[in-house]
Amino acid sequence: MPIELIIPLLAAAVQSGTPILYATLGEMITEKSGVLNLGVEGMMMIGALSAFWISLATGNPWLGFLMGGVCAAMLAAMHGLVCLGFQGNQVVSGLALTIFGVGLANYLGTPLVGTQGIGFSKVSLPVLADIPVLGAILFHQDVLVYLSFALPVLIWAFFRYTRLGLHLRSVGENPVAAATAGLNVIGLRWLGVLLGGFLVGLGGAYLSLAYIHLWTNGLTAGRGWIAVALVIFAFWRPGRAVFGAYLFGGVMAFQLRLQAMGTDIPASILMMLPYALTILVLIASTMTGRGGEAPAALAVNMEPEE
Amino acid sequence: MSPNPSPASLALDPTAIPPSDPPLIRLEGLSKSFGPVRASHDISFAIRPGRILALLGENGAGKSTLMSMLAGRLQPDSGRIFLRGEEARFDSPKDSIAAGIGMVYQNFMLVNRMTVAENVLLGQEKHFWVSPKAMEREVGELTRRFNLPIDPGAGIWELSMGERQLVEILKLLYRQSQVLIFDEPTAVLTPVEAQHLFEALRNMAGQGKSIIFISHKLEEVLAVADEVAVLRRGELVGHWEAKDIQSKEELANRMVGRTVSLEIAKDSRMPGEPVLRVEHLTGPRLDDVNLVVRQGEIMALVGVAGNGQKELVETVAGLRPPGSGSVKILGTDWKAFFANPSWKESLSYIPEDRLGVAVCREMTLTDNFLLTTRQGFCRGPWLRRKLARQTVAEKVAEFNVQPGRPDMLAGRLSGGNLQKLVLAREFYRNSRLIVAEQPTQGLDISSTEEVWRQLLQAREHAGILLVTGDLREAMTLADRIAVIFRGRIMDDFPVEDQERMKRIGLLMAGSG
Amino acid sequence: MRLIRVTKRTEPLGWGSVLVFCAALGLSLSLACAALAVQGVAPLRALALLWEGGFGSVWSLEDSLRKAIPIYLCALGVSFTFRMQIWNIGAEGQFALGAIGAAWAVLTFPHLSAVALLPLMMLSAGAAGAFWALIPALTKVRLGVNEIISTLMLNYIGILLLNYLVYGPWRDPGGRGFPMTMEYPAAAQIGMLGGTRLHWGLVLCVVLSVLAWLFLNKTRLGYEIRASGESLRTARYAFMPYGFLVFLVMGICGMLAGWAGFVETSAVAHRLQPSILVGYGYTAIVVAWVARLKIGPMALAAFLLAGLRVGVEVLQLELRVPAAFGHILEGLVLLTVLAGQFFHYYRLRLEWPGQRAEGR
Repeated sequence: MPIELIIPLLAAAVQSGTPILYATLGEMITEKSGVLNLGVEGMMMIGALSAFWISLATGNPWLGFLMGGVCAAMLAAMHGLVCLGFQGNQVVSGLALTIFGVGLANYLGTPLVGTQGIGFSKVSLPVLADIPVLGAILFHQDVLVYLSFALPVLIWAFFRYTRLGLHLRSVGENPVAAATAGLNVIGLRWLGVLLGGFLVGLGGAYLSLAYIHLWTNGLTAGRGWIAVALVIFAFWRPGRAVFGAYLFGGVMAFQLRLQAMGTDIPASILMMLPYALTILVLIASTMTGRGGEAPAALAVNMEPEE
Repeated sequence: MSPNPSPASLALDPTAIPPSDPPLIRLEGLSKSFGPVRASHDISFAIRPGRILALLGENGAGKSTLMSMLAGRLQPDSGRIFLRGEEARFDSPKDSIAAGIGMVYQNFMLVNRMTVAENVLLGQEKHFWVSPKAMEREVGELTRRFNLPIDPGAGIWELSMGERQLVEILKLLYRQSQVLIFDEPTAVLTPVEAQHLFEALRNMAGQGKSIIFISHKLEEVLAVADEVAVLRRGELVGHWEAKDIQSKEELANRMVGRTVSLEIAKDSRMPGEPVLRVEHLTGPRLDDVNLVVRQGEIMALVGVAGNGQKELVETVAGLRPPGSGSVKILGTDWKAFFANPSWKESLSYIPEDRLGVAVCREMTLTDNFLLTTRQGFCRGPWLRRKLARQTVAEKVAEFNVQPGRPDMLAGRLSGGNLQKLVLAREFYRNSRLIVAEQPTQGLDISSTEEVWRQLLQAREHAGILLVTGDLREAMTLADRIAVIFRGRIMDDFPVEDQERMKRIGLLMAGSG
Repeated sequence: MRLIRVTKRTEPLGWGSVLVFCAALGLSLSLACAALAVQGVAPLRALALLWEGGFGSVWSLEDSLRKAIPIYLCALGVSFTFRMQIWNIGAEGQFALGAIGAAWAVLTFPHLSAVALLPLMMLSAGAAGAFWALIPALTKVRLGVNEIISTLMLNYIGILLLNYLVYGPWRDPGGRGFPMTMEYPAAAQIGMLGGTRLHWGLVLCVVLSVLAWLFLNKTRLGYEIRASGESLRTARYAFMPYGFLVFLVMGICGMLAGWAGFVETSAVAHRLQPSILVGYGYTAIVVAWVARLKIGPMALAAFLLAGLRVGVEVLQLELRVPAAFGHILEGLVLLTVLAGQFFHYYRLRLEWPGQRAEGR
């Protein structure tokens, strides 16, 4: 394929990988604290809807973006309530959260279907955008993409260089030990759930504010689930999440381009690509035998002491 | 005091302790119940700085409840705690740590995937920003000051049990805890490591700290403690100066509440055919293991936990494939044997972890009984539940499982009764090789005796591999003893061999 | 100082569980009403319509029962896997594959008589569903791949496969371009029961329930499934054929969900079309969990949730409430029931501040 085709494709890969990156990093933080939240798809939908609606109502896309995260965190709080408050099964609760969140977003969003929204458009970064090849791929994007470049580094540093990050990791690895060291396990896990939910919501917000400036029901189309899979693929490390997210962004962008160019391959078959790839990627990452790097207490509730 | 005091006259009148220093910590009438169970009842004692108090008690005597209350993990129903004469309340572990109480739990409270430094500082970091380097430097200074040979940058997963305990001690040193509580600290240590620990304890006491040392081993308690208190069924039944204690037997009686006869009659038998033959077995944590167990004998495998026992046992029990070397069970090669293991007259495994492995808490006694005997209750694809229920009713009565209703959930049985259920099930199979792993751990004296009798009786039809960390148990039951250290069998000899019996301690530590 | 003390329950909750369930349902309905109020719909009127639409007349009861059939079949299926703690959420895809399998039989042998064609459809539907479920079973047992993700991804792929077929090779040339197969011949349609609008799928459900109960409670394999679900380590200890059991429960689930797809296409839609995929496979998960995997309660819960679906359709027509309202309700029911299950394991006791100091 000639370079003039590859560069826009890679640029598109970065753009369509960005929402997945936000969501993957969010879920990663939650899982690091020992909570499995399978409601990513639902939280993304809620994030997308609230961002779209609030930016439309206020005319301020930044406020919309932020509120997308906040509203998703509120949804995540339901998971926190069920699992941290009531010892509910984390797998089932996350599933319920997806059903509920997707339902709620589609329900509230139905009147908005087809509405044109406001959002972010591309801004070329001075100097950086002029770097050959890389500039066109990485620095002809919107602000939220630039923000997402910083995120993995911030999260990595958060877990390594801050007290809170250390505490969050310890409750995901050994909550009993953390409790005896005087840490508030439930409180820290709440933080993991809310912070993670917030980031996942930003990923949803990106979809409705920057990826498409239009509301459609079922906007996320399984990206939330891909994010869940990518956390496993990334071995709970922010750096690898970037790689995974852009890989999926690439496949999605490629598949869309192919559809747009008109090929003989039916659209339904092309659309299977990211989902099939998810399974393949999971197989590949489990075969390396590093699934054992999951936080030791992931999805294990801490029983209340008498 | 009379020259040969009975325990009753030993009981300390508080005024008998020289009142030189005020107590660092004092408990007054501490009580805690769980539903109908009285875990701690009206416990009062005090310790002065520089003293080591040994708290003796069987498992289930209420030691851990008492500890949890001091650690702020549980709140007492009634009673008060005084620190340096002032009443203290611990609503959370944080309060307790801040008050200067430090604890080393039996199951170490360490985050395996973090470094030594991170673990030591966990919850004690002074600033929002932390730097791994600075943390390692700070902990490094501490290790140098106290001369503890440990790398602050190492991950916990890389450390031996003894080293992990040092990390726990480092935590307390870092927090400058004044009251140190150790729960069965020697369970995972070699005799030599235990000696080092005792020295460390005396050193720390010398610095004016108060130490509470929880154990059920009389010898080590008498070796290290200044004072001894005995806990039974949640109550404090006595508190003495260690130097006044002359009769260990009396102390033991106090501990269990009745006269114990730990001498179990054992007749010697002629060993028969080998039922287990391990040759040159090498694999994870196992290094050229050779071992033979014959029908009619009990072979005790002793060693400090974590020296390859688990790996060996799981290989013999069919849960992990052997590396190189050969394992023959009842004369059949490992692979062939476990390709189609028979439920009857073959191999029984009594695992250490009863509630996690041998028994399901949420299933009935009958369903639990069927776990390994289900093939015996089949007619075609159907399971003969009525017959099973009837058999279970008979067997639980025979093995004295209390309460023994076949439809009851197993989770409601006590540890001793669970173990009896497991024995009832495994002995029902008439196995010819029995692997028993720590079969009496956590059981009270009477259950222990019952389990021992059953094991001795089982020699009639079986050879038994007994894996234990308790030398007393090994000496009581075994015909032969093998010592394991770092995956190697150090030696293997009959119990009658007095010379080599004396060297067990050294062998367990890898020398001799 | 804690005012509420949590203690572990030693006796089962018994009838209290019904109370907890009703409270959860009530809470879900009131929260859903709040969502209605937001959209400017009078909540009480909506609730009345919901009841009327789902359970209020013979007609609506029949409708609810018809919808309950595929939901129940899928729920029965997933309950097998959940019992073993295999988190198979792929019933939707297995349902789609079952429908595809049945359609294949019809399109390949359109002239067979009902006696031959219906069993053949059942066979191919069951096999296709089971095949779809065995893929994640294989990757889980052999490679340790997380089955939550793989089953879910296979849902998307299965649905797209169905779309591909009805948009492409299987499209009815006489269908004026609509994505659907030709209408099934009469021989491929499951008949109705007596003079009702209920079809023989209902009888299938009853028969399968009895078989499932017998299998789980009276056979050795059923026992092994239940025991393996309690603890993986115990299953290994007792030499349960764990891998085989995973294949077995996944195969059973795929077959049952496949049959649900068969019943739905054959008796209700009379053709293969994308609109048969309305999320029964996900509702089934709610049903299975709400009923705590028990067969009788699952039948009830399937009927209840099917009734809610029918009621929501009425709301959609009468009050223009978006269809997604049904998902809100289902998600809420599952979340609240899940939280309510806390009371199965723990009891709460109120404690007054002064009490502790006095001692007991």
